[in-house]
Amino acid sequence: MTKPLEVKQESSISIRSGATKSYALQESAFVKWSLITISLVFLSLFLILPLVSIFVTALEKGWATYVASITNPDALAAIKLTLTVVLIVVPLNAIFGIVAAWAITKFSFKGKNVLITLIDLPFAVSPVIAGLVFILLFGAQGVFGDWLFQNDIKIVFALPGIVIATMFVTFPFVARELIPLMQMQGITEEEASISLGASGWKTFFLVTLPNIKWGLLYGLILCNARTIGEFGAVSVVSGHIRGMTNTMPLHIEILYNEYQFTSAFAVASLMSILAIITIIIKNIIEWKVKDV
Amino acid sequence: MSIHIQNVSKAFGSFQALEDISIDIESGELIALLGPSGSGKTTLLRILAGLEGLDEGAILFDGQNITNVSPKEREVGFVFQHYALFRHMTVFDNVAYGLKVRPRKTRPSKEEIKKKVTELLALVKLDNFADRYPSQLSGGQRQRVALARALAVEPKVLLLDEPFGALDAKVRKELRRWLRKLHNEFHVTSIFVTHDQEEALDVANRIIVMNNGKIEQVGTPEEVYEHPNSPFVYDFLGNVNLFRGRLHKGKLTQGEFEIDVPTYLDSHDDAVGYVRPHDIQIEKEQLNNESVAAKIVHIHMVGPIVQIELKREDVDEYLEAEIPKEHYKQLHIKNGDTVYIRPKQLRVFIPEDYSI
Repeated sequence: MTKPLEVKQESSISIRSGATKSYALQESAFVKWSLITISLVFLSLFLILPLVSIFVTALEKGWATYVASITNPDALAAIKLTLTVVLIVVPLNAIFGIVAAWAITKFSFKGKNVLITLIDLPFAVSPVIAGLVFILLFGAQGVFGDWLFQNDIKIVFALPGIVIATMFVTFPFVARELIPLMQMQGITEEEASISLGASGWKTFFLVTLPNIKWGLLYGLILCNARTIGEFGAVSVVSGHIRGMTNTMPLHIEILYNEYQFTSAFAVASLMSILAIITIIIKNIIEWKVKDV
Repeated sequence: MSIHIQNVSKAFGSFQALEDISIDIESGELIALLGPSGSGKTTLLRILAGLEGLDEGAILFDGQNITNVSPKEREVGFVFQHYALFRHMTVFDNVAYGLKVRPRKTRPSKEEIKKKVTELLALVKLDNFADRYPSQLSGGQRQRVALARALAVEPKVLLLDEPFGALDAKVRKELRRWLRKLHNEFHVTSIFVTHDQEEALDVANRIIVMNNGKIEQVGTPEEVYEHPNSPFVYDFLGNVNLFRGRLHKGKLTQGEFEIDVPTYLDSHDDAVGYVRPHDIQIEKEQLNNESVAAKIVHIHMVGPIVQIELKREDVDEYLEAEIPKEHYKQLHIKNGDTVYIRPKQLRVFIPEDYSI
């Protein structure tokens, strides 16, 4: 058949859209370097300097103190609690995010816009208010308070409350990441899969999931970062019980309020390391996505 | 497999996409669903595949009502307009997909799948591309992968949505020929959607012309081209010249033009005569009152057929005529000449709510 023609088209396809320089946007060297300098100074002052100071303060009194602050039972409990919350919240939000994005992009139904707006709600509501809502619902004087008390179910001031509050705050991340991606990809590949005889589950695992995996991972990374760092909502529902319901950010706040700066900064440095790892993973994913 | 479409209707909100459609398709036919965009042809195809539900009516495959059978059970091969290849899978995996997802009981062994896919890739002349990804293929190649993928599951019906729409002219022609050949080999009942009349006339052995969610005409390419049963079909399949006039005592008159139409002896209506460009006779002298004077505006002379644009001298209307090159040479005509034109064959329709 038309081999030469095809070869030509292939070569043109393989050119990736990399960083393209616009001739019209080429500025003079002076403008270019002053803009770069301003950004660098700003970044150093507001991001790098504080980050460095965290580590400096944390290690101020030596490595032994640093290790002791982290291995303190209360600190360990806080780390364990935070990781537990992450392990519960991130998978749940992954499922919720996929389900919501699937519903919104693959079906047409009435009230779709309402659902999209609802997904955005946690971004608009202050986390403190989100926490208070759950106190009003599940607290001792709350709507379900009596029933929960009679059935001996603890939500507020316990792990379930922290999980629920964190989920509320972080649930838009995955859905928000997936909706535009899935909208762009359309539904014809799924239709093709079904008409080839695949079941709904097989279609999801063999066609949909591979197509959205990088977007999903990106959303999960953001969700994970926020889950580790969430303060406001968790602070309201946790009850600040030392060694029990203190997550890492809450533990840091308590240490700080008790003037234990070195310990506070030691735990903070641990969180910073988690954050830095998250950013690195996020960048790797972005780089991968661009490559695909 | 034979297909019976019985009184199918479908609406999207207030838009009536299909209105009481009934078609019988014999086993092994190659059918073109032809119509302008928005005529409902793609909707009908998607309903056949089960990708779209219907509001009323029934679909029968081999006499069995499959209206409520899910698309995955229908054993239909669907080729999508933009191919819908799985972008994260190689060409091989794309073609193998339909076999791999079968339940364990009916799934062929790995070797069998490999053999089958290799065969199909050879059939679509893509044996060397098995490890490529869809993004590394040209449009024509992607289309052939899509076809191989649909054929891999040995469908009882092959449905193709604008199969050549997104390809350039040369590749399109080649694939057209190839599809016909493929159909001759496999004899699988095939239906393809197109808005290109040439494509429909060239490939199909029966054409269903659709407009506004209704069937205008069903017939062989020759039937629908030579004997259109409505102004729409006349206009949609090929070029046409219009003689808008008035019927009176079995004659259609417009300006100085008058022609006998014995089928409408009793009508006294406004009517439109339809004449194909190749049915217009050009003469240098007026032989009878059925011919009318026209001035040559433009002569387009590429290939064996000469296209001539004319402007009527009695009314302000343009005509298009097509004559063989030899005849053109005998006539000795040039731009600006006045000639006499006469329709060799004319079909009259009385406009109802239809207007061009």
